[in-house]
Amino acid sequence: MNSEKVIFAFFIVLALTLNFGFFLGGMDNAEHHNIYELFAAIVISLVSTILKVGDRTHLGAVFLATSLVADLQLIAAAVVWGFTAHVYGEALQGHSLATVISLSGGALLANIISVVLLVAETMMVRR
Amino acid sequence: MQNLIFVLFRRLRLPLITLIIVYAVSIIGFVLIPGIDDQGNPWKMSFFHAFYFVSFMGTTIGFGEIPYAFTDAQRFWALLTMYATVVAWLYGVGVLLSVFQDKAFLRSLKTHAFNRRIKNIREPFYIICGYGDTGSQLTHALASAGILSVVIDSNEDRINELEADDFLVPPISLCADVSLSEILENAGVTHPWCLGIITLANDDTVNLTVAVIAELLNPDLRLISRAETPEAEANILSFGANEVINPFETFASRLALALKSPGLYCLYDWMTGPSGRKMKEPPVPKVGKWIICGFGRFGRTLYDHLDDEGISLRVIEQDREIRDLPSGSIIGRPTEALALTRAGIEEASGIIAATNEDANNLSIIMTAEEINPSIFCIARENQSKNAHLFQSANLDMLMQRGTVISNTIFAFIKTPMLGDFLRIVSRFKNDKANELVSRIIGVVYDDTPELWEICINEKDAPALFEVVKKQQILVADILCGVAIAECDKSKHSIALALFLKRGKGNVLLPEKNRIIRENDRFLMCGTKEAHQQMLLVVNNINLLESVLSGEDLPAGWLFRKLRGNKKAKNPPS
Repeated sequence: MNSEKVIFAFFIVLALTLNFGFFLGGMDNAEHHNIYELFAAIVISLVSTILKVGDRTHLGAVFLATSLVADLQLIAAAVVWGFTAHVYGEALQGHSLATVISLSGGALLANIISVVLLVAETMMVRR
Repeated sequence: MQNLIFVLFRRLRLPLITLIIVYAVSIIGFVLIPGIDDQGNPWKMSFFHAFYFVSFMGTTIGFGEIPYAFTDAQRFWALLTMYATVVAWLYGVGVLLSVFQDKAFLRSLKTHAFNRRIKNIREPFYIICGYGDTGSQLTHALASAGILSVVIDSNEDRINELEADDFLVPPISLCADVSLSEILENAGVTHPWCLGIITLANDDTVNLTVAVIAELLNPDLRLISRAETPEAEANILSFGANEVINPFETFASRLALALKSPGLYCLYDWMTGPSGRKMKEPPVPKVGKWIICGFGRFGRTLYDHLDDEGISLRVIEQDREIRDLPSGSIIGRPTEALALTRAGIEEASGIIAATNEDANNLSIIMTAEEINPSIFCIARENQSKNAHLFQSANLDMLMQRGTVISNTIFAFIKTPMLGDFLRIVSRFKNDKANELVSRIIGVVYDDTPELWEICINEKDAPALFEVVKKQQILVADILCGVAIAECDKSKHSIALALFLKRGKGNVLLPEKNRIIRENDRFLMCGTKEAHQQMLLVVNNINLLESVLSGEDLPAGWLFRKLRGNKKAKNPPS
């Protein structure tokens, strides 16, 4: 067992689960989506990006790319939320709520790819 | 670049993760801790405000407690996170700075910059391996001739010295081991603009390795190498090196030439020496008894060459362990008068101080001149820092290893045909050599001759190329043409065609009535002015035509037509 691998896999899977947790719920109900979960998803996603940078393999490059996509989508979701709440001063609902959730849905896809890659890599290296 | 970013991120991984986590914890804290707004109502910071506050706190900008004054609980948390975020930033910046100070990282940065500069070269250049005495002289000579050079040396001090030096064309340098094929490839061995590679290492194995690599990577490349032993010389020549220069061999054979055939010696000296000197009376060593002090590599080479000329020689060597000393050699210190007297210094006609200690060599010469003031003195200079000492020592000839090699190589670079020319000339008999010398003197008077090449093609001599395609031009035309342009119709040539390469054939001293063909290559010799004049003439069609016809023709189309009409009306009687 390699502790580096454990940490790596832990952050990638955690990024996916948090993202999924935030995404889960009705598209029109702000009650179903917790802002703390979005915050945690962003932080974990950033950490897993940093963990992926510096790997020179082809697989490493794809890992990095998926992670960057997830970061981008999640940060966009947070910015939309922040703008709605503070700049327009409205409660999060309707169109803006749907935008935040669908953006996080996109990040979810990227995170799923990331985890699939992780599993594939683990399967390839049989030890 | 790829590698550098990877290295950078790998090293920054921990500081970045620390920074993210510290920020995340600080933000969460501010969001969770309840506060009070300006009306006294309970209020909680949103993520937006928390991120804003932590951002300016962490970077020590500090706008204050925004948007409402903090409660004491919030201040506790701010106090904690203030230190945490600042420390996290300092840690990150510290690691970043240490990465940029890292020797290995800096070296890879330099290598990367070097590779990129080589890739972007769009002018002819030479690769020089080794920046010792020879390398630095050669690089300076190339730079002042406007030729770019790429210098590689494994010694960092030398590269620093190079970077501090002043050059007309600054060379591109790298501190690396040249015997690695990757380094040579990065230095541009296979680069389309690379003209040649010159390897000048002190170590023959390095020179050999460079030669092998260069030959394998790019067989068409011009390769000039230095060699210290005849074995290495033969070895490097065996796989296609163009020129191999052994400094001891070169000097010894020159000295033998000076004794045997002063004319040939003059030719060699002029053609491989620096240009632009005033012509000097060549040193005339007398044939007679010669004393060689020191029987190392140089002494041995001298002995072999002078012995072949049938000169009676005496060797003084202080190391009695050395085997194969010639019979009659004296074992003793050559710096002492006793040993010199035993060797017969009183009646000797020349002495060569050939040890590998500069102080000893100077001392030998001074002692020898005291005993026999008329003796012909030759000394070997080992280190160029002692050059001024040797200058003031009143020597008849000086053997400077670095200068011998760098001058010769520079001459070969400037005029690649010189090597073949000298090989043919070296077989000349004495009177033939003297005739050639007097012909050259007739052209250049009292300057040392300048050598240059003219290739009759589109690129080098466009005007001449055009004319040669249309009409018959004789060698005499361009030579006298130069004279016309310069000396106003006096039919005296100020340049001389030394050598002609046509296809695979070589013609030594092409006759004046030989017809010039396309793609002929001429090795010319003459004064500096003649060189410039000839460059002008072969490049400028108007000048060339006026030189060929002997009258000043109009350059523009209109005046040409007018003149043509005038000529038709008044046919010359």
